[in-house]
Amino acid sequence: MKDLFYYLIFPGFLFTGALGIFASWFDRKITARVQWRKGPPLLQPLYDLIKLLGKELILPANSSLWTFLVFPIVGLAASALASSIIWLAFLFPEKGFVGDVFVVIYLMGLPAISLIVASFASANPLASQGASREIKLLLSYELPFILAALVVLIKAQSIKLGGLIFYQAVNGLGIGSFSGAIAFIVALLCSQAKLGLVPFDMAEAETEIMAGAYIEFSGPLLAVFRLTKFMMLVAAPLFLVGLFLGNVAAGPGAFLLLILKYLAVVLLTVLIRNTNPRLRIDQAMKFFWGPVTLLAAVAVTLALFGK
Amino acid sequence: MIQRILFNSGLFKIDVLSSLVLLGVIFFTVLILLYSIGFMRGKPGRGQYYTYIILTSLASLAVCLTNNLVFLLVAWGFLGITLYLLIALAGPQAREAAKKTLIIVGGADALMVLAAAIIYCLTGTLEMDKIRISLSASSLLPVLAYLCLALACFAKAGAMPLHTWIPDCAENAPLPVTAFLPASLDKLLGIYLLARVSLDMFVMSRTMNMFLMLAGAFTIVAAVMMALIQHNMKRLLGYHAVSQVGYMVLGIGTGIPVGVAGGIFHMLNNAVYKSCLFLTAGSVEQRAKTSQLDALGGLSRLMPLTYISSLIASLSISGVPPFNGFISKWMVYQGLIGNWRLANGKWEMSVYLLCLVAAVFGSALTLASFLKLLHAVFLGQGEVLSKRQVREVSAWMWFPQLVLALLCIVFGIFAYQVPLKYFIGPAVGNNIEFFGLWAPALAAILLFVGMLAGLLIYCSGNIKQLSRRDKPYVGTEDIPAEARPTGTEFYRTVKEELGVLRGIYRKAEAGAFDIYHQAKDLIFGVTNFLRYLHNGVLPTYLVWCLLGMMGIFYLFLK
Repeated sequence: MKDLFYYLIFPGFLFTGALGIFASWFDRKITARVQWRKGPPLLQPLYDLIKLLGKELILPANSSLWTFLVFPIVGLAASALASSIIWLAFLFPEKGFVGDVFVVIYLMGLPAISLIVASFASANPLASQGASREIKLLLSYELPFILAALVVLIKAQSIKLGGLIFYQAVNGLGIGSFSGAIAFIVALLCSQAKLGLVPFDMAEAETEIMAGAYIEFSGPLLAVFRLTKFMMLVAAPLFLVGLFLGNVAAGPGAFLLLILKYLAVVLLTVLIRNTNPRLRIDQAMKFFWGPVTLLAAVAVTLALFGK
Repeated sequence: MIQRILFNSGLFKIDVLSSLVLLGVIFFTVLILLYSIGFMRGKPGRGQYYTYIILTSLASLAVCLTNNLVFLLVAWGFLGITLYLLIALAGPQAREAAKKTLIIVGGADALMVLAAAIIYCLTGTLEMDKIRISLSASSLLPVLAYLCLALACFAKAGAMPLHTWIPDCAENAPLPVTAFLPASLDKLLGIYLLARVSLDMFVMSRTMNMFLMLAGAFTIVAAVMMALIQHNMKRLLGYHAVSQVGYMVLGIGTGIPVGVAGGIFHMLNNAVYKSCLFLTAGSVEQRAKTSQLDALGGLSRLMPLTYISSLIASLSISGVPPFNGFISKWMVYQGLIGNWRLANGKWEMSVYLLCLVAAVFGSALTLASFLKLLHAVFLGQGEVLSKRQVREVSAWMWFPQLVLALLCIVFGIFAYQVPLKYFIGPAVGNNIEFFGLWAPALAAILLFVGMLAGLLIYCSGNIKQLSRRDKPYVGTEDIPAEARPTGTEFYRTVKEELGVLRGIYRKAEAGAFDIYHQAKDLIFGVTNFLRYLHNGVLPTYLVWCLLGMMGIFYLFLK
């Protein structure tokens, strides 16, 4: 029962969803300020969701209906589970909940997989095009991301998230060494791609392939995808905080500090997104498998030498 | 009486590991026979087909039960012959593949004979449970014996560099044969023997373990990179049958209980989902009359049961939690991480890291390749096929598929309660120590609850008009039929636009990494030279005779 509470109310589904809505507003507000606009009111992302829920649902003809309908909620459930695991590692690092670092990495891949399979089911050529870019993007950032995560795992000699956070509580933040700092930069770029934000939004590319993978989704289906994105906007930066900037968040003060760190990472992400143009998919692959992987390999080597 | 003759004579022995493989062999034989009733209906050569399948099964049982090296060799060789006969059943176009298989597998058998001879020299016994040879770098013979045995296992299971028969066999042999032998039985037996040799018959050295790990890691990545670019469903699956062996070899190579258990568990899981995938491919081929990815598409509506089995098996093989492929890979990763503490210096540590990265990244590549398969066969646009009246296969065929798909779920969610407790744990001595944390049952429940919550969100929305359908939207234009993306072009970026990879792919497609091609070129090169000398022209021979005589005279009269 307690696990269900963790998952559904706090810090899982409901709390992560709410924080995700806030983070989305934060993103839009900062973007607006960067562009000298005023920006939306605080609850605008929530209004968008409610509005979407009321819109009509149109199903594409010749689609694989069940796959089209079921996979969006699979992605939603997985992103909620991933974020609960990460949150609980901060709150109760000694206990451990459901999975370790590898489980989180795999679970955070599930929303992308759900989007890909669901859009394949929509029988739209543009959706196939967008989804194929999404797969290639997944392939490209996965390699450097594993390497960046390994830097921390080597130092802490643990693959449990709670263990990593304990290690940082005793030995200082993961980012506080040469290797850790490099790995953080690499992981930040990967998380940018995982979130599908500019410059890595070629899977959606509104101006080119009309939202690509999302093209056939309307009404409640699109709302669920939107909510999944909000949750991932919590899970991915929070995972970075856990790997590189972790602290035990037992009391209210520590929890507030955690939220501030999280918002700082989101701020970095938003700034990257506002200062770069979109890359082509082959450029992104070359970027991730070339310089970024090299950088990550350097970080791992430094970590092996204890730097 | 019978028991005394069989088990006390040292000819046969049964323990937990062999009974696990034994059960697997019987289970897969039954499923494949059921499937074959549907698949082989009305095809020529059915009598031979069933005979060979049952003979294969019997020989496999002998391999599991035997405790005598010579008897093992005989049964092992027999398997190679039945495999050859089964592939050749597909007709004239399969002859080349059958020959290749026989040469590679048979050649590896020859290595095994050599290994048995060396072992007899070293220990004076052929009873496997009495053999315990230590591998140290100073003595060459034990290392040679071990390498020969390991290569024989590699050829059977399909690890690199002796893997090249599997894609050819998958493309040409009848599909139940591929599902039965390269996908399940050969994996079970090859990895069984590798485990038996590495855990019981030899005391492994660090160097040998590292050799196994590197071979495994290389197999994972190289084979899956080839799978990415295939245009034929069966060949694509064939490359995955190679790639997955990498995880098993890697797991056994780690040498610590959790890794070894992961390797053996992966062997079992792989047999389940890989034969499921081959069976669904067989069903698709039977109904759509083709296995070219470009000609398929949209089958999920026409063959729902086959689609669901294939979807579950694809997610399992890609290591998506909470299915079974994830947990065994996760155990292999832990085997590698457990080795960090034992690492002796930076080089050893970097080997473990390299293998770990290869294994995790290989899993992402597997996922990519299966998403392509799902798109090309079952999803995407498929107006081409619906005209041809494709329908679901008969119950003989979908039943085994569904059983295997169900096993993927059960072995994934109840991993600790069923397979690890009864099959894998006892086989490695029940001392598995986990470094990480994964609670699949809880995760499955939570995911299910999360999906219910998502359903609630659907229901709170406007879903009254679920019947409203519209054409896919491409800027209000009609989609031209030739613009249909099938999925085969998804990874053109990987194949053609990335500098280093492009060169490697070109070489690989030309057969530069195929040991069979290379050996063939070498042998033909030598024979061509001899043929050039023996040109049938008498004066040339006379010149050679004269030259030879001159040489001899020079030697004697010097």
